[in-house]
Amino acid sequence: MKPTDLNGRVNGEADAVLTAAGLGVGFFAEDGRRLEVVGDVDLVLRAGRTTALVGESGCGKSITAAALGGLLPRGMALDRGEIRWADGAARGPGRGLTYVFQDPGECLDPVFTIGNQIRETLPPEERGRARERMEELLRTVGFEEPARVLASYPHQLSGGMQQRAMLAMALAGRPRVLVADEPTTALDVTVQAKILRLLADLQRAERLAVLLIAHNLGVVAEIADEVHVMYAGRIVESGPVDMLRQPRHPYVQGLLKALPRLDGSGRLEGIEGSVPPLGRRPAGCRFHPRCPLAREVCREKAPEMRACGEERAVACWACGEGGWA
Amino acid sequence: MSAPLLQVEDLRVTYRAGRGTVAAVKGVSFELARGRCLGVVGESGSGKSSLARAILRLEDGVAGRVRFDGQDVRALKRPDLLAFRRRAQMVFQDPIGSLNPRLKVGSALAEVLRVHRLAKTRGAAAAQAASWLETVGLDADYAGRFPHELSGGQRQRVNLARALCVGAEFLIADEPVSALDVSVQAQILNLLKSLQERRGITWMLIGHDLAVMRHMADEVIVMKAGAVVERGAAADVLARPVHAYTKELLAAAPNVGRALDRRGSGPAVWD
Ligand SMILES: Nc1ncnc2c1ncn2[C@@H]1O[C@H](COP(=O)(O)OP(=O)(O)OP(=O)(O)O)[C@@H](O)[C@H]1O
Ligand SMILES: Nc1ncnc2c1ncn2[C@@H]1O[C@H](COP(=O)(O)OP(=O)(O)OP(=O)(O)O)[C@@H](O)[C@H]1O
Ligand SMILES: [Mg+2]
Ligand SMILES: [Mg+2]
Repeated sequence: MKPTDLNGRVNGEADAVLTAAGLGVGFFAEDGRRLEVVGDVDLVLRAGRTTALVGESGCGKSITAAALGGLLPRGMALDRGEIRWADGAARGPGRGLTYVFQDPGECLDPVFTIGNQIRETLPPEERGRARERMEELLRTVGFEEPARVLASYPHQLSGGMQQRAMLAMALAGRPRVLVADEPTTALDVTVQAKILRLLADLQRAERLAVLLIAHNLGVVAEIADEVHVMYAGRIVESGPVDMLRQPRHPYVQGLLKALPRLDGSGRLEGIEGSVPPLGRRPAGCRFHPRCPLAREVCREKAPEMRACGEERAVACWACGEGGWA
Repeated sequence: MSAPLLQVEDLRVTYRAGRGTVAAVKGVSFELARGRCLGVVGESGSGKSSLARAILRLEDGVAGRVRFDGQDVRALKRPDLLAFRRRAQMVFQDPIGSLNPRLKVGSALAEVLRVHRLAKTRGAAAAQAASWLETVGLDADYAGRFPHELSGGQRQRVNLARALCVGAEFLIADEPVSALDVSVQAQILNLLKSLQERRGITWMLIGHDLAVMRHMADEVIVMKAGAVVERGAAADVLARPVHAYTKELLAAAPNVGRALDRRGSGPAVWD
């Protein structure tokens, strides 16, 4: 198995499966006014690599992911930028891109058995040997008794088992891009570790491009190759996962400081305030009301993403060349 | 020492599954003193949620004894049962399923306050609802939103506000912060801690984040396959785990520094 090389060069555009450039999603209020939900999002998802999207609740991670697959909620539209698939074809959800969500309840239908639900997502040419393929998928996600699981209804499985069943369902369509939206959030750590290992293995073995949405930076540090941190609809810092050792953006530094420690040391320190709701985002840098470093310029002008070291970029007036910190 | 608020003795939960049965909880006993926080950790399917539901009498197929403030919970009849339901509440793992999609969150909270006669007028209920939303870190504006207009973390805060606003003395929180981002998690955990200290709220905190348990829980029990395999003061159990499973849990806990070091120095993440 090929190891994940932290310092490995990204192979230009060659491995890119899906490229999003300048992506923007608007929410249209009843009076027709457009509120930006996410904006200026640049992402490259590469075969065999995991890209993480992190940030607080409400920053637009799930909406970004929904935009990639054409699954935006009512009232929202992808109306800025573009999405390119490497093979040129526009691909929606289905064979190109599939989702695994945090909450199995969103995907699993309580009135059908797991078997019936996985069968639905198998490509037509595999329906002939459906049972065999379904058992294989369930073994792939770590079930030792696939037959029992196939015959179970969702409520007969624990949260972790439901999550694995959902992963099997997502893999049934043989996707090229797997969007995992908080896939392990509700799971205990040993199962989480198994699922992360599973994702890492699948990503390498099947050359899947994985977009991992997670708020647990520990999880991100375990399997991501690249990290994008979002705040209030914008990406504010990007780089190889190693950037988490020394993030530049005060927001990312705050996220790291908020993590409880295993030895119980230190006070739990949240970031003051909360993510502004849509339509209440401040002018200038959107983080400035919560930022310990904010100055005049931060209140007036939004900083753009600027390169700051190898493959790293940050949007902060205080960071990088010409910054004051 | 005063009598414990909660005494659980040889509690068992058995489900029917197809033609057979599943023993989800196999004889769990513990006591929890007023104002303390008990952490319950364990692998997926180890019976944590089943244990919680059995304690709150939300489950059939239960054997064993649950005493709450001296009363036999499983024998409670109507008026006492309703009082118990107010005093002992659950914050569920799945926030969307427990919120009414057709009610704005402010109205939902206000309705709960009115049903429990904690607010005399509509206006008072609305004002209290807004203040509870602020307590859990949501701008009062959010009162006018529907659950589907909130992100996952925002919904979980509403859920917490709803459990807290009834004035429960005992709360079982089933993974209450695992869907929250860390900055807010820290705020909510600090909030829970201050509720415990200021109002003497007694907690049972179900979770899988050992670092969170280390910060929150006074005692922990570690469950595996329906049984308790290790118990003790949180600081002791997490610093010096004895059971192999507890050690495994600690080793699997995601940690930024440890993960980056492992990946940076060794050839691969998991090999
Ligand atoms: N259906 C909807 N209608 C209106 N606003 C919405 C809807 N869904 C999300 N939003 C808003 O869009 C913004 C981005 O939400 P999104 O769900 O992408 O957040 P997120 O980063 O995934 O958060 P979480 O970590 O809580 O899942 C938030 O302000 C949220 O309140
Ligand atoms: N309604 C039910 N019918 C049949 N079996 C059930 C039912 N609910 C739970 N079980 C089974 O009981 C066992 C314990 O489940 P429980 O949900 O209590 O675990 P848990 O520790 O809360 O897991 P998780 O961390 O995944 O939430 C599992 O084997 C599960 O499959
Ligand atoms: Mg989300
Ligand atoms: Mg559970």
